[in-house]
Amino acid sequence: MPQPTMPDFSNNNNLIKRRKYLKLSYQYFVNHFISFLLIPIIATVAIQLARIGPDDIIATIKSFHYNPVQVLCSLFVLIFISTVYFMSKPRSVYLVDYSCYKPPITCRVPFSTFMEHSRLILKDNPKSVEFQMRILERSGLGEETSLPPAIHYIPPTPNMEAARGEAELVIFSAIDNLFAKTGLKPKDIDILIVNCSLFSPTPSLSAMVVNKYKLRSNIKSYNLSGMGCSAGLISIDLARDLLQVLPNSNAVVVSTEIITPNYYQGNERAMLLPNCLFRMGAAALLLSNKRREQKRAKYKLVHVVRTHKGSDDRAYRCVYEQEDPQGLVGINLSKDLMVIAAEALKSNITTMGPLVLPASEQLLFLFTLIGRKIFNPKWKPYIPDFKLAFEHFCIHAGGRAVIDELQKNLQLSAEHVEASRMTLHRFGNTSSSSLWYELSYIESKGRMKKGDRVWQIAFGSGFKCNSAVWKCNRNIKTPINGPWEDCIDRYPVHIPEVVKL
Amino acid sequence: MLKYLSPQNCLSKGKKMVSSKIQNSIYNISISTVVPGLMSGHDAVQELSAMDLAMKLHYLRIVYYFKTPTFDGFTILKIKETMFNWLNHTYITCGRFRRADSGRPFIKCNDSGVRVIEAKCRLSLDEWLETKDDSKHELLVSNQVLGPDLAYSPLILVQLTDFKCGGKSVGVSWAHVLGDAFSAVGFINLWAQAMIHSYPAQPLTMAQQHNWACDLQNPKPNPYPLSVKRVDPVGDLWSTTSNFKMETASFYVSTTELTRLQAQICGKKVDQKVPEFECICAVIWQCLAKVRNGSGPKAVTICRNDVKTRDKGIITNESQTIGLVKTDISAQDYKPFELVSLIMNKAEDERMKIKEAMDRDNELPDFLIYGANLTFVDLSDAPFYEMEVRGQKPVYVNCYIDNVGEEGVVLVLPSPKGCSDGRMVSVTLPENQMAEFKSVLNEDWAIA
Repeated sequence: MPQPTMPDFSNNNNLIKRRKYLKLSYQYFVNHFISFLLIPIIATVAIQLARIGPDDIIATIKSFHYNPVQVLCSLFVLIFISTVYFMSKPRSVYLVDYSCYKPPITCRVPFSTFMEHSRLILKDNPKSVEFQMRILERSGLGEETSLPPAIHYIPPTPNMEAARGEAELVIFSAIDNLFAKTGLKPKDIDILIVNCSLFSPTPSLSAMVVNKYKLRSNIKSYNLSGMGCSAGLISIDLARDLLQVLPNSNAVVVSTEIITPNYYQGNERAMLLPNCLFRMGAAALLLSNKRREQKRAKYKLVHVVRTHKGSDDRAYRCVYEQEDPQGLVGINLSKDLMVIAAEALKSNITTMGPLVLPASEQLLFLFTLIGRKIFNPKWKPYIPDFKLAFEHFCIHAGGRAVIDELQKNLQLSAEHVEASRMTLHRFGNTSSSSLWYELSYIESKGRMKKGDRVWQIAFGSGFKCNSAVWKCNRNIKTPINGPWEDCIDRYPVHIPEVVKL
Repeated sequence: MLKYLSPQNCLSKGKKMVSSKIQNSIYNISISTVVPGLMSGHDAVQELSAMDLAMKLHYLRIVYYFKTPTFDGFTILKIKETMFNWLNHTYITCGRFRRADSGRPFIKCNDSGVRVIEAKCRLSLDEWLETKDDSKHELLVSNQVLGPDLAYSPLILVQLTDFKCGGKSVGVSWAHVLGDAFSAVGFINLWAQAMIHSYPAQPLTMAQQHNWACDLQNPKPNPYPLSVKRVDPVGDLWSTTSNFKMETASFYVSTTELTRLQAQICGKKVDQKVPEFECICAVIWQCLAKVRNGSGPKAVTICRNDVKTRDKGIITNESQTIGLVKTDISAQDYKPFELVSLIMNKAEDERMKIKEAMDRDNELPDFLIYGANLTFVDLSDAPFYEMEVRGQKPVYVNCYIDNVGEEGVVLVLPSPKGCSDGRMVSVTLPENQMAEFKSVLNEDWAIA
């Protein structure tokens, strides 16, 4: 007996296929519109020329009378225009290479140990203990994330010396590794930018780096603090702007977050979440506008888009450092964090979209927008397909919820967000440096090819959403010397929804 | 800081209090955790044998004393680094307890790690060792027990105490459920190996299980063996309360004294040779019988190393014989030589009976083995002094078993200079019997 549902199913399949082909041909047509225009024009010209014949063409050219002054003027105009063009073209900024800090085994904190410590530290507050257990079970962190030695104590023993010790350890290791990878000499660093949000001693961390490596006295050094997890991309933006003004220069950017002084020792539930997620990490990058670096640079910086929602009070207060009723300082995360993040992302995409999306997507978006405004507001808003614009996505591993939210909003597949999820699992939330661990993951998996475009998105307190677009400059061969070296073969791992303790 | 070693978790109520002067000399206590540096346990399940569960209420507390300059220049971070490397090979000891649906405990090897306690002492090592108070060693090792939060209780705690002169003590608390003293010492010696980057080829494992067929048909089960004392259910807090405060005293028996004792026991039988351990057992048994004035002990338990079944790289409770010696009349009425022959020839290995008693019903009873009767444990062959740090042996090792029954426990330990140099004897008795026992030992046998 024939199944009544079968024909419907194959009909549906055909419809879907037809729609897909339609969309593909539309995209191809719009994106290569100029070519489609040029082909008939070239054809017409070629036919005309063929008709006239070669001798006639030569005769026509010879009949032009050349006045020497006219020729010189035209030449000067040409040279003037090309000079203006080349001078006003923005300098290309290249990411020569970068290195991520890999914590030693003595900093390892397995999942169960962290739970145990939390229970012991919060034992006078069983409700807070339960809350923290629930967060940890769903956090998406793995068994090998790292905390600095001071945080291994029950209760943690943060002091200034330990914080400086951690800063020196992570920053110097990352920079030493960068020097080894790129062959950079300390005296060749022209610009130094260090960003660390929650630890800002005097002298600054950038001064600490200048002191350690004996950098030049005329170095342009900057220290960005208090700018949250998106500060890494802010530093890149600053480096890019400086490299427009300074010709032939190297810029070193160090992104990190120092955990030691920021472990929340109280029991307010809204402030316990950062303890569960933030872990040790750092990244050091070498950016350059030197022409000779072009050949060996890994990436070219294409766009940086910064979106600040701080003018909205709700967004401003959503990640807020404050004292709890007991006077202990911690970071309060408000309940509408995800909503605000989605809004910030939308703003950022609105600016980013026209810069990166192919014409087909932009037209579709425009038509749907016009349609919704004029014809029928009930039309679904068209979400541009960013997978057409980028091959790889690096979403700041702020937490499982952030990655889930972005995957949903941008309609990304599991493979697109794999780098983010696996970085969260292996290293935890390393704040501004997490984007670089994710990029290293993609490279270690051998997925990065020349010409691939990467989109890095970071969120941070303020509330800010910053993006950077990179284009891969050369083929990157595995294995690469990076933080994933010894464990890349174990990844990707399946991360359960709730970890059974 | 001390509140994190939760008070209800400690055995302070069952022990004689240390003098406050000594207690105040320990300061600056901080607690942290050291885990395997690399993923080692992978959440594997380690089942426990009946013998392991029978021993679960006991704890071994071992203190190693090192003179300066053994640990000179060894910062706490460097020491912890050696521990991170060491624990990669001992993942079972880094796990935590869970209960199966049947209620039977097992170990989940989740890399939770060992607890590390750092402390300082105001005295120098020599001053400390010369102090007369024998209970001082308890301050240098944790007195924590497993539970009440069983899933979050470490099985092993290591206390590192710095003395004023630069000497250091390492106090290891070992849950007996993991294995006997030989297993514990083997585990600790792996750390000494790790310090010189010498690692075992295989991680430490537990002995294979032998499944004994349970005689479920038997309507009238055998009574519990005499070597065992069943206590009221302890639930998730693995310790017992006792009516008596227990006190531990250690004393040294030199080779000359041993020879004299042997001669005293053998008397005219010149061709007979009495081994050192049995000699000490008989002497102490008789002394205690005198102290208790005829009310016992009528049965003693003898625990010895079962060399035949002991394998390297294994932690186990199966390789220690638990022999029971019964007498019908008080030990006072025996000649010492007769006691020795009883111990040597009439000790019945009760391990099978204990296992059968444990597995018999689904209830999983809670037992005390050490101290159920007067218990003698022969640890003279245990390699305590092989724990070499930078080529230096410990100057002294103190060992006692915590949470024991009221009948008392005697440990025969090697002396610092080796077995040829006599023995250390550690005696744990109820507080009210200790003074009399010491005087009887002195009067009758001339041992101080």
